[in-house]
Amino acid sequence: MTLTRRALLKSAAALGAGSAFTMGAGGVLPGFGTAHAANTSGYKAMVCLFFLGGLDHNDVLLPYDQSSYDSYADIRSSLLGSFSTEASRARGNLLPLAPDNSGDFGARQFALAPELSGLHGMFQSGRAAIVSNVGPLIQPVTREDVEDESAALPAGLFSHNDQQSQWSAGAPEGARNGWGGRMADEILASGSNQTADFTAISTLGNDVFLTGDVTQPYLVGLDGARSLDILDFYGYNPFGQDDNPTLAALRTHFENRMNTPDSLIGRDMAAAISGGLAKNEAFNSALETSQPLQTQFPPGFLGAQLRAIARTISTRNSLLMNRQVFYAAVGGFDTHSAQAQDLPRLLREIDQAVVAFYGAMEELGIANDVTLFTASEFGRTLAINGDGTDHGWGGVQFVVGGGVRGGRIYGDVPEFVLGHDQDVGSGRLLPSMSVEQFAAPIGRWFGLTEDELVRALPALPNFEAGSTPSFFV
Amino acid sequence: MVGKVGSGHWRHSVLGAALLLGACSGGGGSGGSPGSPPPPPPPPPPPADGSILETQREAARFLNQATFGGQADDIAALTGQSASNWFVEQVNMAPTLSLPYVQNYIATVPTATSPDGLTYEGSHAATFAFWVNAIESEDQLRQRMAFALSQVLVISSRDGGTLAGIPTTVAYYQDILARNAFGNYRDVLEDVTYSPAMAEYLTYMTNIKGDPDTGRMPDENYARELMQLFTIGLVELNRDGTVRTDASGEPMSTYDNADVQGLAKVFTGLSVNQECFFCGFYEATPEELISPISIAPQWHSELEKSFLGTTIAANTDAATSIDTAIDTLFNHPNLPPFLSRQLIQRFVTSDPDPAYVDRVASTFESGSFVLPNNQRVGTGERGDLAATLAAVLFDEAARNPSQDDQFGKVREPVVRFVHWARAFDATGITPQYAWSIWDAGRADALAQGPYKSPSVFNFYRPGYVAPGTESGAAGMTVPELQIVNAGTVTSYANFMAFYIFNYADQYFEGPEAAAFYTAYTDEIAMANDPAALVDHLDILLTNGALAQGTRDNIIAAVTAVPEVHPYDPEFDTMRARAQLAVYMVMTSPDYLVLR
Repeated sequence: MTLTRRALLKSAAALGAGSAFTMGAGGVLPGFGTAHAANTSGYKAMVCLFFLGGLDHNDVLLPYDQSSYDSYADIRSSLLGSFSTEASRARGNLLPLAPDNSGDFGARQFALAPELSGLHGMFQSGRAAIVSNVGPLIQPVTREDVEDESAALPAGLFSHNDQQSQWSAGAPEGARNGWGGRMADEILASGSNQTADFTAISTLGNDVFLTGDVTQPYLVGLDGARSLDILDFYGYNPFGQDDNPTLAALRTHFENRMNTPDSLIGRDMAAAISGGLAKNEAFNSALETSQPLQTQFPPGFLGAQLRAIARTISTRNSLLMNRQVFYAAVGGFDTHSAQAQDLPRLLREIDQAVVAFYGAMEELGIANDVTLFTASEFGRTLAINGDGTDHGWGGVQFVVGGGVRGGRIYGDVPEFVLGHDQDVGSGRLLPSMSVEQFAAPIGRWFGLTEDELVRALPALPNFEAGSTPSFFV
Repeated sequence: MVGKVGSGHWRHSVLGAALLLGACSGGGGSGGSPGSPPPPPPPPPPPADGSILETQREAARFLNQATFGGQADDIAALTGQSASNWFVEQVNMAPTLSLPYVQNYIATVPTATSPDGLTYEGSHAATFAFWVNAIESEDQLRQRMAFALSQVLVISSRDGGTLAGIPTTVAYYQDILARNAFGNYRDVLEDVTYSPAMAEYLTYMTNIKGDPDTGRMPDENYARELMQLFTIGLVELNRDGTVRTDASGEPMSTYDNADVQGLAKVFTGLSVNQECFFCGFYEATPEELISPISIAPQWHSELEKSFLGTTIAANTDAATSIDTAIDTLFNHPNLPPFLSRQLIQRFVTSDPDPAYVDRVASTFESGSFVLPNNQRVGTGERGDLAATLAAVLFDEAARNPSQDDQFGKVREPVVRFVHWARAFDATGITPQYAWSIWDAGRADALAQGPYKSPSVFNFYRPGYVAPGTESGAAGMTVPELQIVNAGTVTSYANFMAFYIFNYADQYFEGPEAAAFYTAYTDEIAMANDPAALVDHLDILLTNGALAQGTRDNIIAAVTAVPEVHPYDPEFDTMRARAQLAVYMVMTSPDYLVLR
């Protein structure tokens, strides 16, 4: 019995017959009674919020004890002078943190940027955790390993697209699937969700993070799924016929029942059109039956994305979902220039949107079952280039949700000086926690077994198992 | 460059363009049989031309690859004619530019509402210029090439960025690509480097030398993307575009972060005005917005600059340093395959054979290409783009593809929309009255807009392999599939429906109603014979690629549009049929994939 689905998927892949198991529109997995995953009861969702461009972690989690702050302010003095009064990075304007594990950091203290008042409150009340110096790695490395090139390092370091892919998929651009999609594959293999169609949902596009062998991301519109205007137009049946042949032919057209295109790309386009139509219609009929959300989201693209995700979660029962992975992203973080003007606005947008999202989950009564975590392709240099900062490596992320063991800073926070042991140049941080170590506790919380985790995160065994802390209660 | 711009009439321009013409007229000339008595001099044989487009389908297909799509007249005129001659004629046409349009727009449109002389609409004027030129200009090959280059050398005037408010600067950049479309890539790199638009977009405007005391270093943004995206890429390539590997089978990086930091020192001390260096755009005169940026020596790094095995000595000035840097990248062995493969993807096929890439890359190196009519294109210098583009379009893989099910590409959404406007001779080409094309890159529009990319990585990546697809399972790179999903296929259909069904004419008044109107005169005349209508569209839009099932179903849908509408006395059945047929062809996989 334990062989069934997993073995089938594996042998199907080995035979190159994966398409037999590609769940297209309306495809339904057989309802195997036994769950492989450790715990797939109830509902759980994880939401990846990606900051495209490379979030400057040094401008999110700042030093607060006087001596560390002075070092930081010295290195960044010309940049710090450019912030507005409201966004001032003066020590007195920061939001000091009182982590439960402050003892791990001795005399060192930390604070959040002043725009992050909502996240600060959630941290202090234990619903948000901070994870520091996390980034793509292949194996644990030291600065000496990097300098003498004696250790394997992720390909395409410091390059946007490649590190976005490294974060999402553990490989540079061109990776075929990511850990969100692979975790969803494990969930599907366990028979937990009845259909793959809405297991992985993006508000943005065809993200590799959400793509697995079986799992394909569904792009949800910001205000429900899009529908084909032409079908609506002919659907009103203005010609008074009971069975409008034009409408029927249009459905044939968009369902691509005319013929099979000759080329691979043609068949891919046909499948995208017909599959898209079926999913959009299924999604919208589920949305029609769900209760409207009362929680107000802030204006702007990120607020709209998290609102769309919250609304999607509200349809989970109609869509027969008990595990879902979401992806949202917002750009503008590549602050080579004008960081003091641009970043505070972005941080405020993040703060308001994440707080609203948590509020919506409380409204739905599932705040403990939804975990939002942030990601960004890299942190940035501690050194400045005048009015901005350059591409780094390790960065700082948040993990937010009612199930999170918040109020703690996980990982290490390197000193805010240049030339320390984790500095690989101009304050680019050599990560001390890999993306896999960051992802593993989220996967466990999601319900994956250790075997399933390793399939979703193949590099995880390269890191000491015991070194991964759990971010969850 | 391919000689001076001629009269536009190809016979004259060919004769006038010495650089174009090689010595190989007549195709060989070594075939005389020795020993025969000299025959009477035969009439000079017509030059052998392997590029005669024998049928309407062939002519339409060539135009679909090389232009924003042919009009019925273009297809008819090119049928039976030489594609080579057409190419030469196109290369010699004077460029249609964006800046004159933008300057005229700003000068003639009321601007009282805005202190900087720009209305919100006016801030989009460079985008308007793109649409107008793509739809109306005769120099179609150049406009397509410029659009292809704009997807390699990416800037974006998306709302929210500085460039969104400086249409003259964006137009000046668009014109760099249009002017140099058949020039040399070395000149493209130099003009782009000195363009205010790129300096702003990749943040080396006002970039200053480092300060070892504080650890401040030059901005690395342009240095990195210039290498990764505009010239050489991340890993070493063979000339056929395949990845070179080391002894252990691993790809070899072209550069590391030390190279980036070394190159970053080159792009210091550049701004719009050296007198007011840190003003950037803020104090710029209108003339400065459309001029190369200038050098402020005091802010240029005087340190030694070392990258990719090239070392620029300490105290070398900025202009010399930039020259050396561009030369180094331009002469890198990666550049020919790196650029050639992307050009093939933009014009012909998404996953070209390495041998095809190699042929184009070798043309990039030699700078010379002999067209099928035996005319030579190109200056003979490395980087010649006319020769390179000829190699892309006239390769056997483009002209006579096998019935390979992996050949072809997804037509770009921008090209599809322009194709519609051209094919049906849209009138009222006034983008200022058609808001949905101000930023067609929105996900609820075309998901691709000219000069509107969300980042310097364009809307899709050349190496994109679509997960969960047949092409992906075959390992094919299909860039445009990166923007194909349940949302965008629907948005595209709705976006096109707005234009194809002339909704503006129905729902708006005044200039908005007249914008992008299509009379469909030819199509309405055929609409009482749906099969004839669909066959006409099959040539005009799909160069004969409409599958039998698609064709039959469209005919069924069109035929079923009734003669009489129950409560709309103005319902025009023939017009409705024409519109529906166009819409269904343009949303069919047979149209969406160009083969």
